[in-house]
Amino acid sequence: MVFLSIPNGKTLSIDVNPNSTTISAFEQLAHQRSDVPQSFLRYSLRMRNPSRVFVDSKDSDSILLSDLGVSRFSTVIIHVLLLGGMQAAPPKPRLDFLNSKPPSNYVAGLGRGATGFTTRSDIGPARAAPDLPDRSALATAAAPGVGRGAGKPSEAEAEDDEEAEEKRYDENQTFDEFEGNDVGLFANAEYDEDDKEADAIWESIDQRMDSRRKDRREAKLKEEIEKYRASNPKITEQFADLKRKLHTLSADEWDSIPEIGDYSLRNKKKKFESFVPIPDTLLEKAKKEKELVMALDPKSRAAGGSETPWGQTPVTDLTAVGEGRGTVLSLKLDNLSDSVSGQTVVDPKGYLTDLKSMKRTTDEEIYDRNRARLLYKSLTQSNPKNPNGWIAAARVEEVDGKIKAARFQIQRGCEECPKNEDVWLEACRLANPEDAKGVIAKGVKLIPNSVKLWLEAAKLEHDVENKSRVLRKGLEHIPDSVRLWKAVVELANEEDARILLHRAVECCPLHLELWVALARLETYAESKKVLNKAREKLPKEPAIWITAAKLEEANGKLDEANDNTAMVGKIIDRGIKTLQREGVVIDRENWMSEAEACERVGSVATCQAIIKNTIGIGVEEEDRKRTWVADADECKKRGSIETARAIYAHALSVFLTKKSIWLKAAQLEKSHGSRESLDALLRKAVTYVPQAEVLWLMGAKEKWLAGDVPAARAILQEAYAAIPNSEEIWLAAFKLEFENKEPERARMLLAKARERGGTERVWMKSAIVERELGNVEEERRLLNEGLKQFPTFFKLWLMLGQLEERFKHLEQARKAYDTGLKHCPHCIPLWLSLADLEEKVNGLNKARAILTTARKKNPGGAELWLAAIRAELRHDNKREAEHLMSKALQDCPKSGILWAADIEMAPRPRRKTKSIDAMKKCDRDPHVTIAVAKLFWQDKKVEKARAWFERAVTVGPDIGDFWALFYKFELQHGSDEDRKEVVAKCVACEPKHGEKWQAISKAVENAHQPIEVILKRVVNALSKEENSA
Amino acid sequence: MSYLLPHLHSGWAVDQSILAEEERLVVIRFGHDWDETCMQMDEVLASVAETIKNFAVIYLVDITEVPDFNTMYELYDPSTVMFFFRNKHIMIDLGTGNNNKINWALKDKQEFIDIIETVYRGARKGRGLVIAPKDYSTKYRY
Repeated sequence: MVFLSIPNGKTLSIDVNPNSTTISAFEQLAHQRSDVPQSFLRYSLRMRNPSRVFVDSKDSDSILLSDLGVSRFSTVIIHVLLLGGMQAAPPKPRLDFLNSKPPSNYVAGLGRGATGFTTRSDIGPARAAPDLPDRSALATAAAPGVGRGAGKPSEAEAEDDEEAEEKRYDENQTFDEFEGNDVGLFANAEYDEDDKEADAIWESIDQRMDSRRKDRREAKLKEEIEKYRASNPKITEQFADLKRKLHTLSADEWDSIPEIGDYSLRNKKKKFESFVPIPDTLLEKAKKEKELVMALDPKSRAAGGSETPWGQTPVTDLTAVGEGRGTVLSLKLDNLSDSVSGQTVVDPKGYLTDLKSMKRTTDEEIYDRNRARLLYKSLTQSNPKNPNGWIAAARVEEVDGKIKAARFQIQRGCEECPKNEDVWLEACRLANPEDAKGVIAKGVKLIPNSVKLWLEAAKLEHDVENKSRVLRKGLEHIPDSVRLWKAVVELANEEDARILLHRAVECCPLHLELWVALARLETYAESKKVLNKAREKLPKEPAIWITAAKLEEANGKLDEANDNTAMVGKIIDRGIKTLQREGVVIDRENWMSEAEACERVGSVATCQAIIKNTIGIGVEEEDRKRTWVADADECKKRGSIETARAIYAHALSVFLTKKSIWLKAAQLEKSHGSRESLDALLRKAVTYVPQAEVLWLMGAKEKWLAGDVPAARAILQEAYAAIPNSEEIWLAAFKLEFENKEPERARMLLAKARERGGTERVWMKSAIVERELGNVEEERRLLNEGLKQFPTFFKLWLMLGQLEERFKHLEQARKAYDTGLKHCPHCIPLWLSLADLEEKVNGLNKARAILTTARKKNPGGAELWLAAIRAELRHDNKREAEHLMSKALQDCPKSGILWAADIEMAPRPRRKTKSIDAMKKCDRDPHVTIAVAKLFWQDKKVEKARAWFERAVTVGPDIGDFWALFYKFELQHGSDEDRKEVVAKCVACEPKHGEKWQAISKAVENAHQPIEVILKRVVNALSKEENSA
Repeated sequence: MSYLLPHLHSGWAVDQSILAEEERLVVIRFGHDWDETCMQMDEVLASVAETIKNFAVIYLVDITEVPDFNTMYELYDPSTVMFFFRNKHIMIDLGTGNNNKINWALKDKQEFIDIIETVYRGARKGRGLVIAPKDYSTKYRY
């Protein structure tokens, strides 16, 4: 009897005799009883009998149990090697852990190798930060034995293969061959005495096994190392023999060893390479280049879409890519057409057109359209009788390029609202050109009274005949449609039109245009009848009367024999009376515009008649003159000269003796009429208003300008007869003679005038004549006499002074000026002349004194200030001049001359600011404007300068200096045309003033020069001055 | 209804419960028994526990008593249900953005059973992440 202690703690008894039982037999018995496999049973015998040789399994048949020291009633303990994990685990009850205590130091989750996760980074990481080191430390502390199967980590040196393998997972304690990372599973197994013993036994076995094969193994290892060294020799060993020879090298040889270059990759110069991402703009551009516009325009759709619109193919198609694509496409199309059945499945041409009509749309557009589509769908569903919904729905589809869907929609619309013409029109528009006629035919069948539909139907026809046929059909249904009638008449030829119009006026007798058109087509006699009929039908229509008048006039023109102008007047007169009888309010404005319209078509007589009959209607008695003049002005502005003329004619017939109307009429004739008409008008005028000298003078001047001096003279004589004491006429006569180189006659005229008690002007003119003729004595005599009569006329004093100056009688000249100033102390030109004279004679100081007195007597005299400043400048007293200028500007802040001088005096960089100041003070002053223009000129800003010059000459057209400057500017920068234009304008304006201008124009030698010559002389003087400066 | 389901009172017990099951899915509800959301969830869990006992086992964990997993499993929500199979946390795509757990009270028993079945099938095939039969993203709630 031997007891067997098996791992689950139970003890079994096996009834054997140890002295007669072999080990193998016992093993079989033990296997039967304990289920431990036979191969797993080993024997740990040393403890009992260490002298025994280890029993190998092969001789287990021969060894008895007693040989192992097993006796009767001895206990054999079966330890199970923990080579496999499962069979060793003690089967615990399932939910044991619910009640059992956890081991101390247990870290939850670590025992089973659980890892956390981080999903909410906002709150923080799920894992504890010092996770990993902590874990391994705890794992070793919590599981000291780690399981029985694991060998001891110590004496790992030089063990057999089994041991080496175990050592590997000892190093990585968390890993177990059987349990993976789950070593903690058995961490709770208790390490008791049995375990210790077993470990000791195993250890001894291991040691023994180790020592047994040690020599052999070590030898083997050594051999392997040798082998390895032989196959992989060290570099030093390899070159050892060569190195040994180095001691034979001489110093020179050492030196001649070439230096090794630096070939390391690191120092190799890197080639410049940069990778810049392509900018988006470039990509976008490239994309656009490739893009084709696929939308098909309605025009080509109207053409049926049956052919490819080659004109629309963009140029980029010519690229190779495009060609390639085309080839592929055509190949595909060929394949399709050569399908098995032999018939073409796809129409290649149509397919290409379809491709062309494809439209690229963005997502948003599609979204919008889909929304719109939905909207209209609901609209048409909820209210199918509303035509607008259908039309809109169809339009959405059309915009989307789905023309079929659009047609479908509109067709449904037509079905739902057949009585709406808009739907039909839309349907017609959307339909194929071939189908359109059918659609519109249906439409007119359903709504035969729709003018629009008929017109649309006519539009769809291509040739005139069909069109008019359709329109006539329409007229059968709607005979009173004026639009249809008009359309049909427009299409017809003259003969047919007349017939049609006859019918038309029967059908719609209240439509004026038809009547008028008919009248225009008929012969004179017939149209008269027509108009009479029309008048019966439309008694309140003035246009009929006007047409009748025009008709008469035209007839009169054709037929010279009987002039119907009177007839025209009669018709208009009667018409207005009739209309008034009918109760029509005669609107003057309307009639006047009618008159203008008549003038435009050339019916002057009608126009005149209308004006004559209507101009007085509705105007108050006292307002008449004013209103008519205003009307005439308006007409003139609008270019209706005849109407204006008629108005004036009528006005003059009422106001025969009104000078102003005669003048206006004369001006009209002068600007728009012929010389003869003007002449006739003036003649008439002077007969009615003989005391109006302006009219006489105008007539004389016209004659003179026409070169007819005797006639002019005759007119003046007549005028003189009519108004005997008019100085103007005397002077005009003098001027005529004087300018025409008849000084004797002029002198006689002036003498007569002086006798008749002429004014100072006559005296002055007389003196001028003498001056011109060189009769100094006579001149002086005249001046003195004149001064006796008119001592306050400063011009005479001036002339006297100038006369003395001319002959260097400076003392007399000064005396003349002084006396002159005594008589008229506020005459600035006199002061200036005196100062000038004094400056010449006695120097600056005297002149200064005179100018100061002058300024005291005439405060606010800008010219005096300017003269003083210039005098200072002439003597190079710049500071004094500036001082004076500031004072002057305080005294007369609004003086343009002073500001202009100030601008010119200022140093160049400050001129701009000065000019701005000046512009602020006196905005519209021509002197300042010209100064600014000069500034621009200096800066070579030609366009601006020209604009400013133009402004200056429009503001001050009378000042010759400006014209001269302008001309000079154009000489420098302008073209020939510009120059001519300036000269022409200057001549038209007849400038008389301006410092330089007067100096030249008043000079004796230039007395009779035309303006153009004077202009050029002034320009020459200016450039001379500039050069000298 | 939490009294009908086994509670785990320590982190060790939780680990052991997960390790002990070889063939069944372990469903653990983390939360508090007194919590309203948990009560609703527990109602469903308790009622389906018997039905699913062949392939899943349900435990409850009080996260105040056992705070060991609060960080690891981010147990911030009132109720969290997680699935484990053979010591592996099985994730489930519910459409909520958090694939790790069910962090709200599921009130439909059949839905819950479906989810557990899906998880179980996926886990058996070795999947780490399964897709829930129903999308629980908020956009379908409204």
